[in-house]
Amino acid sequence: MIQVENLCKHFEIRHRHKNSWAVLRNFLKRDSSTLKAVDDISFSIQKGEMVGYLGPNGAGKSTTLKMLTGLLVPTSGRLEVNGFVPWQSRQKYVAQIGAVFGQRSSLWWDLPTIESLELLQHIYKIPTARFSSNLEMFKKLLDLDEFLQSPARSLSLGQRMRADLCAALMHDPAILFLDEPTIGLDVVAKQRIREFIQQINQDRGTTIILTTHDMADVQKLCTRAMMIDHGKLLFDGALSDLQNRFGGQRRLIVDFEEPPTQLKLANATIISQEALRITFAFARETRVAELISALTRDHAIRDLRVEEPEIEATIRAIYEGNLLSA
Amino acid sequence: MAHSNSCVHLTYSSVRLFWEITKRSLQRHLTYRTATITGLITNLFFGLLRASVLLALLSGSSSANGWNAQDIVTYVALTQALMVVVSVFGWSDLMNTVYRGEIAAELLRPTSLFLFWLAQDIGRSLTALVTRGISIMLVCYFVFAIKVPSSFGQWLVVLLSLGLAMVISFAFRFIVNLAAFWSPDARGMARFAFIALGFASGFLMPLRFFPDWLQHVLALTPFPHMMNSIIEIYIGSSDARVIEILGLQVFWAVTLTGLAQLILARATRRLVILGG
Ligand SMILES: Nc1ncnc2c1ncn2[C@@H]1O[C@H](COP(=O)(O)OP(=O)(O)O)[C@@H](O)[C@H]1O
Ligand SMILES: [Mg+2]
Repeated sequence: MIQVENLCKHFEIRHRHKNSWAVLRNFLKRDSSTLKAVDDISFSIQKGEMVGYLGPNGAGKSTTLKMLTGLLVPTSGRLEVNGFVPWQSRQKYVAQIGAVFGQRSSLWWDLPTIESLELLQHIYKIPTARFSSNLEMFKKLLDLDEFLQSPARSLSLGQRMRADLCAALMHDPAILFLDEPTIGLDVVAKQRIREFIQQINQDRGTTIILTTHDMADVQKLCTRAMMIDHGKLLFDGALSDLQNRFGGQRRLIVDFEEPPTQLKLANATIISQEALRITFAFARETRVAELISALTRDHAIRDLRVEEPEIEATIRAIYEGNLLSA
Repeated sequence: MAHSNSCVHLTYSSVRLFWEITKRSLQRHLTYRTATITGLITNLFFGLLRASVLLALLSGSSSANGWNAQDIVTYVALTQALMVVVSVFGWSDLMNTVYRGEIAAELLRPTSLFLFWLAQDIGRSLTALVTRGISIMLVCYFVFAIKVPSSFGQWLVVLLSLGLAMVISFAFRFIVNLAAFWSPDARGMARFAFIALGFASGFLMPLRFFPDWLQHVLALTPFPHMMNSIIEIYIGSSDARVIEILGLQVFWAVTLTGLAQLILARATRRLVILGG
């Protein structure tokens, strides 16, 4: 459904001089450098997949999505979505996709939200029966009734996102692109958006690609994750693989009553020690109970706890240590 | 048969879409009531000012370049009534949308950007026409006894000319706004273009008061057709040329619309959308 080969997007960054000769120098000599926002990325996505595209801020997520939705022309590389080259036949192509860019809205700012939604029926030439049934369904799933009559400018961030999701789906798109759909939302609002996205993917078979820098989004929604940083695709595969490969170790944090002597544990290594607190790391397969009983046999312990490896920490480790590029 | 049916359906749904957009634009602009009222007052005030300056030009003689005092007052009333309708002071909504990155939302919809904005602009123009335009003309009619078209036919031609002027003016403004796709500071250039518009359209001064050579030069541009043509037809001072004037208006409406499409196609290829 989506094929991407050696996709690149480079931006020319112009440097402007700020001293008194600036105007003249800027005019005579255009200092510029190239920023590789997306750098030689290849992947393909099948119909019905739900893919998380993740990376820190400035990684190149939005830039990729803009190319996939036909908003930006690639610098080089091949790109085909649903049989179209997005930027070449914009009008025909965008009729078949839905997109939400989390930081901006597609609704008419000063008109009641329902007016924006009803205009979509005419824009996409949606048959009236289909339009009504979709609207009814999304009203229920997204709880739109409370604010349909309010203008978009008066909606909260969460309400606006719900309305935008509805607007992106009214015409039954084959593919849905979501750029940071949960950005800035509180936990409850995030959860509600996630449930909705999941339901759309399962019930309608809509192919969904969502970018995020929130790991919880990917953990809860996606079976496949792609990770990008500095424009390079660092990982593409099952989320569990990522965790097993790079974040398999769990941690045991122990507070002792007195400074421990002769501390040694089979199957665990000390990774930090500060005053009376010692942190051990141990493999996923190791049983915590064994470790604890070994510890309590020889030492007086005040407190202890086990930490699961967080995908977030895993990913930070990957970014920091360049684990994948090696 | 099926083919022609679907063609009919296609045009119907396109017209419907256009109207739905226009309707929403009307709805939006009609909510700005205070702006309409203060605008109206300023408008009348400047009208008085301009009328007295122009009448001073008559300085005793009964007519200037074929216009008498009533024609001149009518000219001022019309230009004041129509200046917002055809946006003689310019317009930069599209440009701002590009700079703010909001253009993305519009490009994600399967509509022609030109028609989408035209429909909105017609909504804006119609609001200005029914609020400011008509009230100014009515006030001027009762207070200054300005001219009114003498027949239904003339009214029709005036409205036709106005409709064409709206399209020409829009296409010109749209093209100027497209400069935003090329330059991060196209605003200065646009300001210059809109000053030219005010001058060359016959808004600041009736074109018939200009030197002959300048009138000939301007006749080769679309500017007179955004304002001056409507006035000539309304006052009836160019009756013999009505068909010619309307023909030229159609020509410019089609030409500028075509040009806008060409430039738009190039613009979206080099689009850089900022943010998120
Ligand atoms: N229009 C642009 N001009 C110059 N640089 C840009 C432009 N758009 C994005 N960038 C740069 O490209 C990089 C990737 O940006 P983006 O795709 O928005 O990242 P993300 O969405 O992952 O946070 C960033 O360094 C950003 O500053
Ligand atoms: Mg982004």
